[in-house]
Amino acid sequence: MRHCNLRMLLALLALLAPAMVWAAPNPRLALPEFSALARKATESVTITLDPGLLALAGRFLDGNDPQDAATKEIIKGLQGIYVRSYTFDEDSAYRQADIDAVRKQLSAPGWNRLVETRSRKSHANVDIYIMVANNQAIGLAVIASEPRQFTIVNIVGAIDLDKLHKLEGQFGVPKLDVDLPKAPPPNTQK
Amino acid sequence: MSEDIESRLRAALRPVEPSEEFSRTLLMRVTADRSSQSNGRSHVRRRFKAPARWFTASVAASLLVAVGIQHHLQGEHERESGLEARRQVIEALRVTSQKLDLAYEAVKSQSTSLADDQTGA
Repeated sequence: MRHCNLRMLLALLALLAPAMVWAAPNPRLALPEFSALARKATESVTITLDPGLLALAGRFLDGNDPQDAATKEIIKGLQGIYVRSYTFDEDSAYRQADIDAVRKQLSAPGWNRLVETRSRKSHANVDIYIMVANNQAIGLAVIASEPRQFTIVNIVGAIDLDKLHKLEGQFGVPKLDVDLPKAPPPNTQK
Repeated sequence: MSEDIESRLRAALRPVEPSEEFSRTLLMRVTADRSSQSNGRSHVRRRFKAPARWFTASVAASLLVAVGIQHHLQGEHERESGLEARRQVIEALRVTSQKLDLAYEAVKSQSTSLADDQTGA
């Protein structure tokens, strides 16, 4: 009887395991290649850095150079950096549907919208999302759309927002005066 | 007449026992010939061994050089990949910071206009 119960329990776990894995929040977004847009764009940036490449880059960052040292600190706990950015020579060269397909992924459990800005002056819309697990940021997503450009950034891993703040002066990053919550409640739905 | 020639031929070609001097000279000559032949063979062996050693040494040296070149090329390739990865990381963070800057500017201008509205009111 006891063996029968144990077998049933193991069978149940085996059935539920894939669902449990699937349900765990995944900070990595499925970014399309946008090959058709890349051909139309006057400038395109496609960056895919997995853990191996990040580690390799870290070996070639000079600790004595302030910019390299700051960069090295930032990428220390990261598992991936993914960027898709396209610039066009005319307005509305891309479809909003292309970006909305990515934005839809950010409505999944685990993602919290940190900042949403709509600027009439520059016609730029910027949304910043963050994924938190165990009181630590494990994913960052930035979607910025302008009339002739759109950019999607996905950073996977233990992002230290304080270190991101400290990039002030490096790469032209300003200090964000917005209130960045240290530990938003998990499983907050939009 | 033919009998006379025949008998003279037989007399000339009859077997004669060699003298001792002859036997000794012959044996000496045979021994000398054998030793000179064996010296020639060892000389040939020595001459053949030397090129074989050079061949082995040159093959080993070539292998070492090939391994060294491959190692160097691998190192160069890794260095190029590492520098390219570094460039991409810096570019990715530059793009991220640029977009964060956009958000900052938007928030800042909103705050400014709110402050202006409140002052105006």
